[in-house]
Amino acid sequence: MTKVTITDKPSRPVNKKMRLKESGGLAAGLMLAPSLFFLCVCSIYPFIWIFRYVCYNYNGFKATYTGLRNFQRMLADAKFWGSVGTTFEYAALKLIFIIPLALIMAVLLNQKLKGSSFFRGVYFMPTVISSSISGMIFTFIFATGNGILNGILMKLGFISASSPIGWLTDAGVVMAAVTIMSVWGGFGNYMLYFVTGMTSISEDVYESSRIDGANAVQTFFRITLPMLAPVLKVVLMLAITGAFKDYEAIMVLTNGGPGNRTNVMFLYIYNLIFSAEAGSQAQIGYGALLSVMAAVIVGAVTIVYNLVARRLDDVM
Amino acid sequence: MAKNQARIVYSPQQKAIRAVLWVLLAFFAVLVIFPVVYIILGSFKDNAELLRGGSNIFPSAWVVQNYVDAWNQANFAVYTKNSILLSLGVMAGSLLVSTMAGYVFSRKNFPGKEVIYGIFTAFMFINVGSVSLRPLYELAVKVKMNSSLWSVILFSIGGGQATYIFLCRGYVNSVPKELDEAARIDGCTFFRIYWNIIIPMLKPVMATIAILSFRQGWNEYIMPMVFTMTKPAMRPLTVGVNMLKNAGDGAAAWNIMFAGATIAIIPILIVFCCFSRFFMGGLTAGAVKG
Repeated sequence: MTKVTITDKPSRPVNKKMRLKESGGLAAGLMLAPSLFFLCVCSIYPFIWIFRYVCYNYNGFKATYTGLRNFQRMLADAKFWGSVGTTFEYAALKLIFIIPLALIMAVLLNQKLKGSSFFRGVYFMPTVISSSISGMIFTFIFATGNGILNGILMKLGFISASSPIGWLTDAGVVMAAVTIMSVWGGFGNYMLYFVTGMTSISEDVYESSRIDGANAVQTFFRITLPMLAPVLKVVLMLAITGAFKDYEAIMVLTNGGPGNRTNVMFLYIYNLIFSAEAGSQAQIGYGALLSVMAAVIVGAVTIVYNLVARRLDDVM
Repeated sequence: MAKNQARIVYSPQQKAIRAVLWVLLAFFAVLVIFPVVYIILGSFKDNAELLRGGSNIFPSAWVVQNYVDAWNQANFAVYTKNSILLSLGVMAGSLLVSTMAGYVFSRKNFPGKEVIYGIFTAFMFINVGSVSLRPLYELAVKVKMNSSLWSVILFSIGGGQATYIFLCRGYVNSVPKELDEAARIDGCTFFRIYWNIIIPMLKPVMATIAILSFRQGWNEYIMPMVFTMTKPAMRPLTVGVNMLKNAGDGAAAWNIMFAGATIAIIPILIVFCCFSRFFMGGLTAGAVKG
């Protein structure tokens, strides 16, 4: 007993000394201050601000309290719910193409063919370009009369010169144009996640499957895909939330048109808040309410996805 | 490794399959790269040729005048300057803010730390879209900062800092604490340890953050558009090019827009070519740690 206390004693003052020297609390506070300042100003403040105006009619100059009027308007706003539907449609279309494409390209890159790392760089390249600029590039490509896509299709004889496809003006095909653009701009990200996930699959597993005589398709479905499941789950999650948030490139490409065919919800809200539609007044209070609703929708989708993913886990 | 590689011998059939796969990869690469090549080559066409359309990718006559016009008449000299200021500002600010915060989060224990960290994480997932730009804009007007790009730079830093802080914290966690202690015994203060010990160790992750935040600043679109609605002289390239498109006579000036779009993507493509591993490394590091 006494021995322990004796050996214990000398260590105590050392500890205290350490703690004293370790202080630097003021310095730490000052160093953390900028990020806390930004957190308050750029994240917390706008968040609270939004809730302040949910029940107001606010055009940027004058705010009047309107009670539940905004909420009633939202329930009856066919244009908003239409934009919610469009968002789901867009997200579904994007995911259906972007995930398999990213996966296939990752598998091909994983075959260690000549120039794989060059191809990987090329596929990733669109993701470094601003979505506003890529939206703009695709407006030129998809232009009806003088766009290069129609030009090439005509040259190849798929369409006649008299009936060019109105990629951005025909409500029937505009979704295809938007999907092509967003898949182009985004699949490199997801491909890279898959590639990184695959490098962690041991080469031995593949070798033993080769020895057992598995063909490429079997290898993919029996080994690569199950081993990638955790990565796939994260990627799907990122892709889903990402797709719901997209509106920058769509704004540039179609600005929601033709009609409201590609008017996704965040684009609709943007136009309300910044009165981008000519001649209309900013409807900030209403836009704030819709923003909250949109955030709730995205949150709900995320939760549902997580539940489904967990279920799948149990099954597998 | 070399031995391992040498052991893989492909049968003629496998070789054929691999050749087909390679062609597939190459074909797809052409598709991916096409829009970029199209816009770059198109920027050398004269306007009449662009408006005529067709399937030619190469200009029939190379016109450099588009760039001269864009640079002088369409104000692209100013836009380019603004874009550089914006992206370098966001880069410098993000580096400073995130390394300091990451260091403190990793090395200091203080009450409420986990709560603050939790708030950072929560706001990465809460997305209310463009509506948050409105209060920020009104705030900038109130403190009279709406007449310069600084407000955009600051808000952009604030918007992107969480990911970078997580990256830094993770990295500082992997730096052995014994280094700090040795420095402290030598009389270094908390800040000196950051400046002389941690910063040099953080170089790899700082390179990633520098690249990612540079791209973020360079590609920022909606915020600068909102903030420069009435101030054309403050617009960065992304906004400047798109304003041409929205202007009534936009249809007539395809050549200027092509040149402008090229000016807007070439710098970031060059940065990407030189530092592609940081772009790609940053993406996966952020996903794993964030």
